[in-house]
Amino acid sequence: MTAERAPRRLVVATAAGVCCFLFSVGISALVTFGSARARGESDFLAATIVLVPSIVLGVLVTWQVPANPVGAALTWLAAAPAAVAAVEDWGSSLLSAHPWPGATAMFVLKQGFWVWNLAGFGALCMLFPDGRSASVRLRRLPVYGVVAAVLLNAVVSLDPRSHLVDGVSRAGYALHVPTAVSNAALIVTSVAYLAVFGSTVASVIVRYRRGDEVVRLQLRWLILTAGLVPVLLGGGWIIGLYGVPVQIWGVAFMAVMLLAVPVAVAIAVLRYDLYDVDRLLGSSLAWALTSVVSAGVFAVAIYAIGDVIGAGSRIGVTGAAFLTALLLLPLQPRLHDSAGRLVDRERAVMLAAVDAFVTQVRDGEAAPEQVETVLRAVLHDDDLQLLLCAPGGVDYRNMRGAPTEPTGPHQVPLRSGDVNVGVIILSSGSRRRLRQAADIARRARLPIEVARLQLELRVAVEQVTASRARLVAASATERHRLERDLHDGAQQQLVALGMRLRSLQGRLDPDAETTRELDAAVGALQETVHELRSLAHGLRPPRLTEGIARGLRELVRNSPVPVALTVPDVTLPEVVLTNVYFVVAECLANALKHGHAHAIEIHLAESDGRLTVKVRDDGVGGASDGFGLTSVRDRIAALGGSVELHSPPGAGTCVLVRL
Amino acid sequence: MRIVLAEDSVLFREGLTRLLLEGGHDVIAAVGDADELRKAVDHDVPDIAIIDVRMPPTRTDDGARAARELRVAHPGLPMLLLSQHIEIEHSVELVASGGFGYLLKDRVLDVTDFLDAVRWIAAGGSALDPEVVQALLAPTRSGDVITTLSEREREVLELVAQGRTNAAIASQLTLAERTVETHMRAIFQKLRLPDTREEHRRVLAVLAFVRSRST
Repeated sequence: MTAERAPRRLVVATAAGVCCFLFSVGISALVTFGSARARGESDFLAATIVLVPSIVLGVLVTWQVPANPVGAALTWLAAAPAAVAAVEDWGSSLLSAHPWPGATAMFVLKQGFWVWNLAGFGALCMLFPDGRSASVRLRRLPVYGVVAAVLLNAVVSLDPRSHLVDGVSRAGYALHVPTAVSNAALIVTSVAYLAVFGSTVASVIVRYRRGDEVVRLQLRWLILTAGLVPVLLGGGWIIGLYGVPVQIWGVAFMAVMLLAVPVAVAIAVLRYDLYDVDRLLGSSLAWALTSVVSAGVFAVAIYAIGDVIGAGSRIGVTGAAFLTALLLLPLQPRLHDSAGRLVDRERAVMLAAVDAFVTQVRDGEAAPEQVETVLRAVLHDDDLQLLLCAPGGVDYRNMRGAPTEPTGPHQVPLRSGDVNVGVIILSSGSRRRLRQAADIARRARLPIEVARLQLELRVAVEQVTASRARLVAASATERHRLERDLHDGAQQQLVALGMRLRSLQGRLDPDAETTRELDAAVGALQETVHELRSLAHGLRPPRLTEGIARGLRELVRNSPVPVALTVPDVTLPEVVLTNVYFVVAECLANALKHGHAHAIEIHLAESDGRLTVKVRDDGVGGASDGFGLTSVRDRIAALGGSVELHSPPGAGTCVLVRL
Repeated sequence: MRIVLAEDSVLFREGLTRLLLEGGHDVIAAVGDADELRKAVDHDVPDIAIIDVRMPPTRTDDGARAARELRVAHPGLPMLLLSQHIEIEHSVELVASGGFGYLLKDRVLDVTDFLDAVRWIAAGGSALDPEVVQALLAPTRSGDVITTLSEREREVLELVAQGRTNAAIASQLTLAERTVETHMRAIFQKLRLPDTREEHRRVLAVLAFVRSRST
């Protein structure tokens, strides 16, 4: 069966249902309004009108979703009872003055034909909501259903006892077997029929348990109304055993099966989430409870006040109304809550979990950032995402601070007044789920808001740190470039210029005035070159090119006091290299200038990508964060490191830098 | 003298070439990077190679590395390294075998001294820049062999390291040449240098303190 052909077959099934319905109604009309007159006109009209909605809905559903067999099942939901009625009317004409042709056969057939009343309903239960059987084992259920119905129909129709009208048998087609046998046959076929019917209802429950959120929502509607059918059917049989006219349950049964079921199904299929059964139910219950309680309070108050100041007094009525309002004001939300809990237990459980989390956050037992995890657990959605909108920003970020674009159809926007706080993205969802998420988010507003502010703070700090690191790196690169430019550019050119002057000088008389002036000029050039060299050295010591070890060895070479230097031969990035060098230089200068040290120890170590620099002296100690150390701290902090200073008075100074 | 000059700055290269020519030397090749230097020397071994430390391709210490390689390939080749700034590490290995000089670039402006140094190095002597020598001589550690030298001996050693002859040292320090010789003997003794050829001992003396300073 191809996907193309499936809808066509279903459309044909719907059309067949409509034709069967029209044909049956035509037959019933002929019997009712003709000379045979099996039942009253009003009965016929009522029964027909009751059936029309199912037919209309069946056609509508087939129109809207042709691939869904529910439309066809709906038409047969009405067509089957219409056919049963037609057969019964045809058979009943036997008892009238003008029996129809074949009335006797129809009379026999109609005795058990009622079993087909449930054909459409059974099909609906088996196929709803998506047209597939709940399981492989249940796929043969329709065949068993037809076999059971045929057998039960045959057993009842062929039982001579059912042919008796006023003690006289009206038909010749009967199997004359011992009563015990026919009773046994009746029981066996009835049980088989009931078993199939029970399995049909069970298949709905199986599908509900296995279904996803949407399927469950759709089935919820069917279960709500269709669940009444077996109850009414069984109830009717029990009532029938006590001799109560079958008419009463028949009407209720038919009304539920033929009116409520199709309406529920149509809503579920066409707009499965149009109305929320739970909330409607909850609100109605709360409304009913409030009304009952307020009426009770009012009545008691009227009675009590009337007792004191006389019945019918206007003061009594006003007082009672006032008292009622006073009592109901605090009572109403509680009633609403308990009704909600009663009807929608899931929602109540969710809200309780969120409330517990909010309390934990408030007491400092949980971090607000866990709110996403809590929402995932509460809504049973592992892929749920909470995206937050930074204050004043327009773009969304996830809980780790990474910019994320909200995608997917199931989004719950979070707002606080006019401010866009963020959005919850569910991996799957119906309107009900989206509303649950919104409810929960409203409860979790405090942690969400705090998480949002913390996120903003973190992002801001990250940005500042990154920009500071960029600045320091840029400054290191720039120093390096300047140093190279001075050496390779200005210095070289000055020396080259000096050489030209010397060359010119060589051609002059050694004792001439010009020769001496050229000497002076070249001397000045040499001075300038020397100054440029010192300048370049201050920008970035050239020896750093050969590594931190070389650079530091050169640095301490000029120290007037002994320096014990431990430096591994590590390769460092330019920015770390220059900064470590200047930090050590600063510490060294401090130790000599302020600490009056006699021995200095410099220790560099690297492990697991972390660099430790220790500069210790035996000076006077007592150092505090002066300008020099502040610049050290700034440089190191920009590289994401830390600086510790131990400098007790009289016991030397130790600066520990971690990178 | 036949000279190979390796220097990437065209301006400096041409200026120096002219000075050397005017000084009566023959610049047989003037190249701009370390690879060309190696080729030029392999092609025609000069009397001395004058090499810029910072050159292409990496513009770090390509010249110094080329010099070390040349010392292996052409063991007797005298070499003079020129630099914009003091880089003691480069001189340590090379100064040991003599015929090696290390000068700051602007020393070329003192033309006479510079040409003297070139000649001295080509003859197998060593010449270190006064700034390098000063950096090396500054006392940093106790127990250093240099600390055993007297002030005057240190002054003499400084000038020796710069490649001066005893006569030049005597005139610079206004001493008798014999006194300089006495100081030299004291230095050799204190540095525990073996009694070998005079020139070689002078190189070893310089090497002794270069080693003591740069490890």
